[in-house]
Amino acid sequence: MVETGHFALVLAFALSLVQMTVPLFGSRLNNQRLMAVGGPVAVTGFALTALSFAALASAYANSDFSVASVWENSHSLQPMIYKITGTWGNHEGSMLLWVLILTFFGALVAAFGSNLPATLRANVLAVQGSIGAAFFLFILATSNPFIRLNPAPIEGRDLNPVLQDLGLAIHPPLLYLGYVGFSICFSFSVAALIEGRIDASWARWVRPWTLVAWMFLTGGIAMGSYWAYYELGWGGFWFWDPVENASFMPWLAGTALLHSAIVMEKRSALKIWTLLLAILTFSLSLLGTFLVRSGVLTSVHAFATDPTRGVFILCILTLFIGGSLALFALRASRLTAGGLFHPISREGALVLNNLFLTTATATVLVGTLYPLALEALTGDKISVGAPFFDLTFGPLMLPLLAIVPFGPLLAWKRGDVFAASQRLMAAFAVALAAMLVAGLFIDGASVFAALGIGLAVWLVAGALTDLAVKSGVGSVAPAVMFRRFAGLPRSVFGTALAHLGLGLTLLGIVATLSFGTEKILSMRAGETVELSGHTLRFVGLYPAQGPNYSEDRGRFELIGADGNAAGEITSAKRFFPVRQMTTTESGIRTLWFSQLYLSLGDENKDGSVVVRLWWKPLVTLIWGGGLVMMAGAAMSLMDRRLRVGAPSRRRKQASAVAPATLP
Amino acid sequence: MLFWVIAAILTLGASLAVLLPLAGGAKGASSSSDHDLEVYRDQLSELDRDAARGLIQPAEATEARAEIARRILRLDNADTAGKTSAKQASMTARLVATVAVLAVPLVSWGLYSQIGSPDLPSQPLSERLAKNPTDSSVDELVARAEAHLAANPADGRGWEVLAPVYLRMQRFSDAVAAYRNAIRLDGDSAARQAGLGEAIAGAAGGIVSADAQDAFEAALKLDPANAKANFYLAMALAQEGRNKEAVTAWQAMLGTLPPDSPWRGAVEQALAKSGNPEVASGAAAKGPDAGPDAGDVDAASSLSQQDREAMINTMVAGLDEKLRQNPRDPEGWMRLVRSYVVLGKADQARDALGRAIAVFGAGSDEAKKFTAFAASLGLTATE
Repeated sequence: MVETGHFALVLAFALSLVQMTVPLFGSRLNNQRLMAVGGPVAVTGFALTALSFAALASAYANSDFSVASVWENSHSLQPMIYKITGTWGNHEGSMLLWVLILTFFGALVAAFGSNLPATLRANVLAVQGSIGAAFFLFILATSNPFIRLNPAPIEGRDLNPVLQDLGLAIHPPLLYLGYVGFSICFSFSVAALIEGRIDASWARWVRPWTLVAWMFLTGGIAMGSYWAYYELGWGGFWFWDPVENASFMPWLAGTALLHSAIVMEKRSALKIWTLLLAILTFSLSLLGTFLVRSGVLTSVHAFATDPTRGVFILCILTLFIGGSLALFALRASRLTAGGLFHPISREGALVLNNLFLTTATATVLVGTLYPLALEALTGDKISVGAPFFDLTFGPLMLPLLAIVPFGPLLAWKRGDVFAASQRLMAAFAVALAAMLVAGLFIDGASVFAALGIGLAVWLVAGALTDLAVKSGVGSVAPAVMFRRFAGLPRSVFGTALAHLGLGLTLLGIVATLSFGTEKILSMRAGETVELSGHTLRFVGLYPAQGPNYSEDRGRFELIGADGNAAGEITSAKRFFPVRQMTTTESGIRTLWFSQLYLSLGDENKDGSVVVRLWWKPLVTLIWGGGLVMMAGAAMSLMDRRLRVGAPSRRRKQASAVAPATLP
Repeated sequence: MLFWVIAAILTLGASLAVLLPLAGGAKGASSSSDHDLEVYRDQLSELDRDAARGLIQPAEATEARAEIARRILRLDNADTAGKTSAKQASMTARLVATVAVLAVPLVSWGLYSQIGSPDLPSQPLSERLAKNPTDSSVDELVARAEAHLAANPADGRGWEVLAPVYLRMQRFSDAVAAYRNAIRLDGDSAARQAGLGEAIAGAAGGIVSADAQDAFEAALKLDPANAKANFYLAMALAQEGRNKEAVTAWQAMLGTLPPDSPWRGAVEQALAKSGNPEVASGAAAKGPDAGPDAGDVDAASSLSQQDREAMINTMVAGLDEKLRQNPRDPEGWMRLVRSYVVLGKADQARDALGRAIAVFGAGSDEAKKFTAFAASLGLTATE
């Protein structure tokens, strides 16, 4: 089984070489047969990669220590779920997951791309194949997960304990679906550049892919943030860690792409810019994938560091980023630019959005790479953290967030800011009220907190206003209003939900940062502590035994207002003997949207234990907002206009008789 | 063999994915402008929907409709650029097709033959542990014993057998734990205490620490003539710099040790070294190596025949015990019978066979299977 998987991987590499070249020749020579090769090859390549991945996963599940990667990253005592998730909890396996998703998306284009012009389809598959070929080669040459050991050791070295968590089952697959989803946008862009023309169906095809990728990337980042929050035991949800930035940059660029693709689809404008953004977004995804693995970064994700792979990685990055940008420089002038619009219009608002988002991306890029460059040039080690980003990224985001509610209310081509402002009066009033309440009653000292709360409420209210205005609240009868509401295009709901989610996330961040409280103290069994109106009693420390670890479990009782126990929180320190590592399992209790978070520190000589306690008001909204954004993207995906019809003979005859009327 | 069949089938499938579209008929493809027209049509209908819903003003709708109409008109002007000469193109196409079809098997088999290990079967852990013990490597035997002890942590004998194996494999901290368990479960004995001391000393890199000395002294209380304990205690003296006392102790040992004792050589070596005061501490650091099994130190991979047998015996005994408690396990009984046969204990094998048949009833299917199985091993039931 293991060797079958290995062989399937090699075979998939061979197919990716075919996929890379034959359809491209086909489109150049205008040969239908050669172009037709792309589809079946892409689907077969995916099937083989899936077989290979299944073989590796089964080796992990069965603790086959004759596979080096299994031996290094698994242990027979691990629970089955971590044995399986361990498949991608290491460099080799995660790269295999990466190409699995890449070939999966390629196969989707092949399977559902029958309504694409043949040459575009062939070129897209060829570019997709070239990315696949590079990655297969990278895997086979430098990080082969199927390297065998003979004789096989009898026991593995265990998975990194930090990764032995359900988060590993969700975070990387979501993140990769996001990263790799942008590869399709990239392939479409490069295909258009190769061909030298942008088909009308281009934007209609690229937008759903952008939506899919963006949706998963949003989920992946939110999940990763929550995982770091509860697993690392520091109570922080975002650290401006380079690896986090690496996933955040494609998200920012992808958000810009999402918006510029709307303009392109609706108005055939911003074509060249959208193309460039698609290329940049995937380039940042590649950078994100590789920054983690090149060895230049050390962080929680350090499982993948290996400097020897650096050169290979650098070659891939240069080839794809440099190659596509060079192609862009050569061909962009041949593409025709699209429609015109006034500065104040929906298009104008989206351009403004793009300006802010790309600048923000650049800021994060600088903040991430500057320390690396400085270290390489001068040898100085500096750390760029929250202060830098607070001063640069923050001020960029504030105006952008402030104008978000205006965008959807402006008309295409030429809009009316005054009319839009009038419609937003109610939302503005609500936001102002929230700001005053926050400023006066909760914490008078912090102006920024009040502003932040106001901004978040402004976003939420603005998103709701958009829906209200479009369904005609206040101007038509209620019955008509409900009918119009139900009949709104799904993409309108998508927009509103995504903006609403953004507001919720902001609300969570501001509330947690401004109104959260923290206590560090040493406690003995029986002692109580009070934090922001919640009383906790430390019951005691109890040893317990897990499948592959032993732990000291600290039990805490939440005391209700009536003096009785109102629930229990446990936090634990786990010791994994195989890796000789200790992890902290934080104890979290969710009360509405807020959380009480505690983590155990070291045990003192006198028997007391260091306990760190946090009260995190509205903290779950940070990730809840992410989920709402995902829901918005899913809603938008269901919009009927994203279903592009294929030209059919019947349709053509009909159109000769009755033009331009379709069901 | 199976692997090559699968590999051949996979290669065939992959090649077909390339070959079939090439062999298929050329469909009359629709031109790009047909596709564009389709999109514009779609945009028009969407515009109509939006206008009907009141999402855009009629004036804007008219304007947008005009814009889309302009795009449709522009379509006719666009045309796909010049083609290369048809003949040359078809030649190139044929060449590309041939290379592509050949590339799939050549690249895959060529590359795989370089990096693959086709002869190495999968080795899931559960299968490796279920093998006949005599086929197992030492590592596997240890893993099995560990699995057995994890399930039956109160099996003192198991710990006792495993402990010296750990010691030999230089897994000292495991050896310490195993000896402690054996002592806790089966009580003190000189051999166990001496072994514990050796393990503690080994874990400390050969330094005979106070803990190790305690263990050796406990061993001497139970058996004043225990050679290992005497030897190491003398070593401890040497390590403390009390060379003279160490030498005296070793010499006393030489006087009492039986002439064929394996410790004789070790003591003589130690004495020789202690004659040179500089070596005293250096030799001490290699305490366990100086023991009787100095030649076998790399025994991490190869146990002595004796240890191996001892280990297998405990494991078989463990299986026997398990079957006494859960007798309805035909596989287990067969394994037990075979193990006894392999160990050359025909009587016990026969006894096990008898018990197995008794559990399932003399006329049962299982009983017949057992009899046939035993016959295949050259064993006949006595009843």
